[in-house]
Amino acid sequence: MRDAYVIGAGGSQYGAFPTESYRSMFRTAFESTTASVDNGIDAGDIDEAFIGMISIGGRQLGLSGPAVTEHVGLHGVPTTRLENACAASGYAVRQAVQAVRSGMADVVLAGGVEMMTDLSSDTTRYWFGVSGETEWERMAGTTFSGVYAQIASAHMAEYGTEREQLSKIAVKSHANGALNPDAHLGFECSLEQAEGAGVVADPLTLYHCCPTSDGAAAVLVASEDVVEQYTDTPVRIAGVGAASDGVGLFQRDSYTSLPATKQAAETAYEMAGVGPEDVDFAEVHDCFSIAEILAYEDLGFCEPGEGGQLIEDGVTTLEGDLPVNTSGGLKSKGHPIGATGAGQVYEAFKQLRGDAGDRQVEGAQVGLTHNVGGSGGAAVVHVLEGPEVDA
Amino acid sequence: MSRTITAVGAYVPQARLPAEDVSEAWGRFDGAGIRSTAVPGADEDTLTMAGEAARRALEASSIEAADLEAVTFATTTPPLEEAELAVRLGAFLGTGDSTRHETAGASTNAGVAALADALEGDSGPHLVVASDAPRGEPDSDQAHAAGAGAAAFVLESSGGARCLSRADAGLDYPGTRFREAGSSTVDSLGITPYEREAFTETIGRAVDGLGESFDPSSADAVAVQAPNGKLPYRASGVLGVDTDVMTDHAVVHDLGDLGAASVPLSLASALAAGEKTVLGVGYGSGSVSTILALEAGESDEAGAVSGEVDFESDETISYAESLRLRGEITGGEPAGGGAYVSVPSWQRSTPQRYRLEAGECPSCGALNFLPQGACRRCHELVEYEPVQLERQGTIETVSVISQGGAPPEFAELQARAGDYATAIVAFDGPGEDDEHASAPLLIVDAEPDSVSVGDRVEATVRRIYTQEGVTRYGIKARPLE
Repeated sequence: MRDAYVIGAGGSQYGAFPTESYRSMFRTAFESTTASVDNGIDAGDIDEAFIGMISIGGRQLGLSGPAVTEHVGLHGVPTTRLENACAASGYAVRQAVQAVRSGMADVVLAGGVEMMTDLSSDTTRYWFGVSGETEWERMAGTTFSGVYAQIASAHMAEYGTEREQLSKIAVKSHANGALNPDAHLGFECSLEQAEGAGVVADPLTLYHCCPTSDGAAAVLVASEDVVEQYTDTPVRIAGVGAASDGVGLFQRDSYTSLPATKQAAETAYEMAGVGPEDVDFAEVHDCFSIAEILAYEDLGFCEPGEGGQLIEDGVTTLEGDLPVNTSGGLKSKGHPIGATGAGQVYEAFKQLRGDAGDRQVEGAQVGLTHNVGGSGGAAVVHVLEGPEVDA
Repeated sequence: MSRTITAVGAYVPQARLPAEDVSEAWGRFDGAGIRSTAVPGADEDTLTMAGEAARRALEASSIEAADLEAVTFATTTPPLEEAELAVRLGAFLGTGDSTRHETAGASTNAGVAALADALEGDSGPHLVVASDAPRGEPDSDQAHAAGAGAAAFVLESSGGARCLSRADAGLDYPGTRFREAGSSTVDSLGITPYEREAFTETIGRAVDGLGESFDPSSADAVAVQAPNGKLPYRASGVLGVDTDVMTDHAVVHDLGDLGAASVPLSLASALAAGEKTVLGVGYGSGSVSTILALEAGESDEAGAVSGEVDFESDETISYAESLRLRGEITGGEPAGGGAYVSVPSWQRSTPQRYRLEAGECPSCGALNFLPQGACRRCHELVEYEPVQLERQGTIETVSVISQGGAPPEFAELQARAGDYATAIVAFDGPGEDDEHASAPLLIVDAEPDSVSVGDRVEATVRRIYTQEGVTRYGIKARPLE
């Protein structure tokens, strides 16, 4: 099968933008993506598009894909809207890889967009947790903060994980986000602030939860047959893995691990011919701080139950052996749902090409992105290799 | 032939509002003779209270819900003014498709009258449940006295307590306690001497109807309708009984006005305590009175009545908390959309929501809750064997949801009752093995922060939320002692 490469990636700032629409946000991301292609690219070169969007608030529930691709001038390009909750655009990238590898397309746009901050707080909360097991989890009075709080509670009971370790994740993510000009909450926070913030769903405080954001991100994936036309320094998508699981946490055997992440990672590592020890940095799905601890364990960065110790030891800080969420992650960079997965690949693209500025991981060769839908009903993992490795 | 009472059950909400807290707020307390009142939880109504009392009575009996010939639900405050809610009560319990379901109401006499009617019937088992939670305008006598509670009686063809005599009377007294069409609060003109006259005259006429068949002074315990803690004693003269036989099982002093459940709860208390001859004196404004004389057998013979009646509670609440719990000062559900659960889809899940019906996978033996789709363990697409989960289970994980973390459908509940704990509960299967199945459930009747992984809980049916005027009922979990 043909190899697939990222030849360009971009995104809007994440944050609250009352003067923007989902279309204008997507346009910003699209223009930043095409501008990142070293030798330039014409709209006419793009064969196919996959767009992730939940349509929070009920805006453009149908045909939201063509609504944004036609807006940016990708006229007539077959566009598919992808919905896998918060993993929507991670799956869009995977679809782009499939299209390229199958030979049906040479250049594919994968992206996502979400507008979340122009709604009343009540309406916003109606749209929280719509990807849980609606008829049971929701009717037990939970949205995702409640479900992830239950995961945290179970992890604490089983492994002795401490709330302060969750707070240290938040402190680390904000330290990284403060170096990212595109971050929604690009400021540092102290351990005391994270510990002392109001409780949202015990044991999670406000600082253990990601914000709701407006934002868009996109990635251009090209086949090995055409990649050289566009850049001499492409990022190879070495491994792709994805998996599903029961939508409701209560229907799973374990509340302290996401089996879909494990399965997706296994597939991606095998395809790339690498293991977790080869990964230089990772962008993981930290919608809640406990989710990052689960990711450490499920992606094989440490043994089950040792995720809290990994942050305690500073391994995943920017200066550590395995920096995680250099962008600030969902916590600090923000979480515009449909855009998040593509945004993670955008960060990896910058890191692997040495363009990450103040938050650059020195000598980054192998990066991993990890995008989760719901409380683990969907997961997708990409292993990406920088230009030097492939050359 | 006639029926006899073989088992009783009772349920009273946990929260108690002391009279002095009302005095503090209003500068007076107008519930004469009442020390405290029982206040329903934010997710309780007369139907959920009836469900709990009925389940307790059935568990004390040898009758299965499916064997009941009839279910009568007596209340002056049904959650809906039209719709046969006794069927929903039956569904909570698992009655059969051909069970007769009926609701009795109209006045506070309804509970005693329904029990008397069912005792006269002569075919299969009959469940009578009286449940009430009257309300008044906050500054009224009725509101100060308002309590809540339910009592249930299992009636069979023999054994337990039999009816010795019954008498009824009706005298037209307009302007005594009434509730106008479309109103949720009871009212009265407050012409005290007139109301006392209606009470004693109507009951007196019913006493006359007993004739030689029963002498009230021979009763070991007498239960009289109690809209407050003083009025019932005014009937001692026409009944010819000492007030001390009226106090032993009086519930009004600690629980308040229980409406149609007032006399039934006292009767259940007396029968469960082993009193031999028990007189129930019902009264409803309008006015009507039904008097019922019961005789239980010796406790070591077939005449014992099974069941326990215990409504002790040390959870007291402030007056402001009572206003929140009752929804007097909360804003209702916010507008919005999203995560909509249609009524038909909710209705299809009621065997799980009311009775914890699960399924056993014929391929691998795993218990599945919900019993639909592919098995959660072996992932084969199978047809499940129906399995009834135990009602008791263990908390596997729990979170306490604060204001920001609740879905808006639960905003009204949270405004009334505060932060809540929500958990995943593993319910034991029926077999000897360790098979269990889990459900996500709200936790009730507990300090949220006190709920921990490993705690034992039991399922109880409560209101989940109301949308489009339709209340979704379903199980929640309550800590076991």
